[in-house]
Amino acid sequence: MIEAMSEKRSSTKSAVEVKAPEAPAPTSPSPVVPGGMGGEPAHYDVIDAIRRGESVEPTVHESMAEADAVIQSDDFKLWYGDAQAIHGISMGVPRGAVTALIGPSGCGKSTFLRSINRMNDLVEGVRVEGGITLNGSPVYEPTVDVIELRKRLGMVFQKPNPFPMSIFENVVYPLRIDGERRKSVLQEACERSLKSAALWDEVKDRLKESALGLSGGQQQRLCIARAAVADPEVLLLDEPCSALDPVATIRIEELISEISERYTVLIVTHNMQQAARVSDYTAFMYLGRLVEYGPTGDIFQNPKLIETAHYVSGRFG
Amino acid sequence: MNGDRQQSGEKGVKVARRRTLPSAVGEPMVWLTGSALVLCLLMIATLATLVVVNGLRTFWPGDIDRVTLESGEVVMGIRTAEDKQGRYLYRVGNRDIGQESFRWIDGAKIAKIEQPEHAVMLEREAWGVWFGMPESVSMEADDGSLVALSEGAAETLDQFALLHPDARAQRAKAESMRKRELGKINHGIEHARLRIAGAEMGVDLRANASDRLGWVSWSAVLVVVVLAGVVWWVRREVGVGIGSSGVRQGKLTRFGCALILLFGLVGLWVGAPWRTQGVSAAERDVIVAQMEQEQEQLQAEYERVLAEIRMSEEQDSKLRLVVVEPTTERFAPIAQTRGDEPMMLSQVVRLIPANQLSVVGKTKVFFSRWWEFLSAGPREANTEGGVYPVIVGTVLMTLLLTVFVTPLGVIAALYLREYAKQGFGTSVIRIAVNNLAGVPSIVYGVFGLGFFCYTVGRYVDTGPVAGTSLQSGVWWLMFGAAIVTAIASFAFGLWGKPDPGHPPKIGNRVLARLSWLGWGVTVVLAVMVLWRTPYFAGFFGARAAEGSPTFGARGLLWASLTLALLTLPVVIVATEEAIAAVPNSMREGSFGCGASKWQTIRRIVLPGALPGILTGAILAMARGAGEVAPLMLVGAVKLNQDLPVSTTAPFLHADRSFMHLGFHIYDLGFQSPDSQAARPMVWTTTLLFLCIVFALNLAAILIRAKLRGRMTGAAI
Repeated sequence: MIEAMSEKRSSTKSAVEVKAPEAPAPTSPSPVVPGGMGGEPAHYDVIDAIRRGESVEPTVHESMAEADAVIQSDDFKLWYGDAQAIHGISMGVPRGAVTALIGPSGCGKSTFLRSINRMNDLVEGVRVEGGITLNGSPVYEPTVDVIELRKRLGMVFQKPNPFPMSIFENVVYPLRIDGERRKSVLQEACERSLKSAALWDEVKDRLKESALGLSGGQQQRLCIARAAVADPEVLLLDEPCSALDPVATIRIEELISEISERYTVLIVTHNMQQAARVSDYTAFMYLGRLVEYGPTGDIFQNPKLIETAHYVSGRFG
Repeated sequence: MNGDRQQSGEKGVKVARRRTLPSAVGEPMVWLTGSALVLCLLMIATLATLVVVNGLRTFWPGDIDRVTLESGEVVMGIRTAEDKQGRYLYRVGNRDIGQESFRWIDGAKIAKIEQPEHAVMLEREAWGVWFGMPESVSMEADDGSLVALSEGAAETLDQFALLHPDARAQRAKAESMRKRELGKINHGIEHARLRIAGAEMGVDLRANASDRLGWVSWSAVLVVVVLAGVVWWVRREVGVGIGSSGVRQGKLTRFGCALILLFGLVGLWVGAPWRTQGVSAAERDVIVAQMEQEQEQLQAEYERVLAEIRMSEEQDSKLRLVVVEPTTERFAPIAQTRGDEPMMLSQVVRLIPANQLSVVGKTKVFFSRWWEFLSAGPREANTEGGVYPVIVGTVLMTLLLTVFVTPLGVIAALYLREYAKQGFGTSVIRIAVNNLAGVPSIVYGVFGLGFFCYTVGRYVDTGPVAGTSLQSGVWWLMFGAAIVTAIASFAFGLWGKPDPGHPPKIGNRVLARLSWLGWGVTVVLAVMVLWRTPYFAGFFGARAAEGSPTFGARGLLWASLTLALLTLPVVIVATEEAIAAVPNSMREGSFGCGASKWQTIRRIVLPGALPGILTGAILAMARGAGEVAPLMLVGAVKLNQDLPVSTTAPFLHADRSFMHLGFHIYDLGFQSPDSQAARPMVWTTTLLFLCIVFALNLAAILIRAKLRGRMTGAAI
């Protein structure tokens, strides 16, 4: 309930007066008791500028420049019809690490994630500007084969969406659509992928049974196995734990840490603790703009902006 | 409840307590809705009970009464009904002696009713039933006189039981020879005649030309269907999708396509349906001589077989059965015009000494009649005998219509839901499709007759209407234009695709519109090119010229297609709903794995929607099987003993007219010369019809349940 209310606030401008009544502390991220000094209006330079619709230069930590980017977006903008959802995001996703996208609802983090494998093509009336590259090759070019592109990326969705077929067929689906028919190859890939998704021991005796009979957490791990089976260049996780209970969430988080040894992971999450636990880098977004981007430790312990500090400590947004 | 109301409303403001309305007590709506349901169930139960009871009663042999009236008249028959005035309805049969087969007898005028032990009811091949007392089994001696083999009723019945099976078998054999062998010879003579006629018109129809063409074209259809089925099965078993980049799979597809193409080309070359070969005078003479010789040979063969049949029949006619009826003391005659000769033993289908039969014996008769009903053809203007050809016709038509309508409807619904841009256009199409479901079925019948039978069928038979075919130059021009517009439309469609991540620009829209327009023009041109080709003179022209069209008349194929059209909206609507019910998260997941649109449809959407699609197919089947009105126009006939399937090529004779249970019921009930006798058959046929529709539905429902179990987690 509280979360829903706060979501509403952050997305409506009329709510500006009511929110975040704590003292402004532009330079120090030291904790302030929320509502401690009642009545004093919030004063966030960057956020206010964004709310006014001004273009704001994102605060990117110096260490980010050194990272080798797998995905690089360059002033990427996106419109749903006439409504602009992303206002020029430029950022690189470092190779071999877990990068988390955080921000209040409606900040465009999911949209950005789905722009990388062009899932937004499926939405009517979407228009983009600027570019995204994946390992140097452009994503938005007329010559790009979107099917090939999606095969280079693995995607896991908010709600577990196993297909109505057997566990085995679910896992090898990406191989099947590539026309792979050799039983041995499929079986080997299935086992490898299920093991890497920490699901093998639970399902190895019932691979032929329907995937819909698994629990929610198992289903989500199955989806991760499915996304990873074809050795993607990047795994895109769109709030993978938001529909799961805490125990299943922990298993998935452990899995993400394990998997990050082999894959680059870009994860969208609502849960700040999760971002802090699993990611190496964190990007804070607000209303379709990148606000601050840096190593997770810095973002959570020593952010450069008061907005980020307040957001990650739950006093804002 | 009332107490709670006080709390609601604004704080501190008390709301006056209202009394419970009388209408809210006892929930009147529960009673109303419940009784509506009960009423519906009652009506359905009444219908089912009535049909089942009456349908089952028909074949149960009733006791035979010998009724003596006060006037001294004696009547024999089975009591079937009585009315309030105390009159009894007797089935008295014996139509050949000039009496009605049913008769009302006033109960007050009856002096005596007895049930003689040896009274029998004869079911005969012709002229309905005969009631009477068996007198003797006789044999015709060489001088034509009859020698009795048995005396007295009891002995006669024993003798009959002994001789009857052989007599029947012999008669069946003669009949089958008449039908099969003579039919074959007649066929050959007809071909020779056709070829002579063709040669005299200056055209070589070649050996059995028209038939072979029909054979080739039909076999081609069958082979392609079988091939497609095999390919489908293989793909299903090995789990390969169309359009993926697998190398081996691409090979398979190409191989299959090449095979089908090759087969088509060979078929065309062998059949060369558009090619009519002219013959010179010399060739004509050769053909005529050859054919006349062949005709002579066949004629000789015909005589030989006929003599054989005659001999068998003569043998057959030696055994006679004398059954005397009590009114005029006459025996059942061999034919209506030969009342002085007793009937042949082999003319008896079944002899039922009902009064001396135990329950077991009656049960035997009951099942033997049911067996005849299900396995034999009709006799006596459909009022007796069986309905085997009717069952075959009904089932075949239903299956064919399902085969036609399901793929078409599913593909159309797929486009409408998955590919088409949702908007005004799709809404209009949806409304139109729904309206189509409400068009009276007879309208489809009229359309089917006019379009399928008289237009398409005539084209298949004889090619373009004489005088309407284009000059070859103009035709090639149109042919070229059709190809050019097709290529151009395809190219426009490709160019009209907007860039990724960008909504369509004006240029894109214009190109897309042009593409649509181009496809429209292409279709029109293609139809013209086909319709007015100067290079095609029909597959069955020779026969059609003699006034016996093959496809240009009512038939199974056109009936199935008409009903497919009729049931199309059902399938489209059901499939659309099923497709819409597949969660979008599944599609997204599939796209996220890098599947193409078609792969997603084929592997995720279609399997998910399959139960719903099958529901649509079941509904279509149920609706199509029950339609009668359009069938009267496009294919169902009162009597056609030639089944639409046979063991001779092309096996499935889709050009033949057929019998249909729905039409059969109508015919029995309202077109029969002896409607009283037909009435029990109406019930029985109705029962059978219900059972068949029910069985077809049940089979489909079982398949669906099985699939549904596989698709969901319920199977675990």
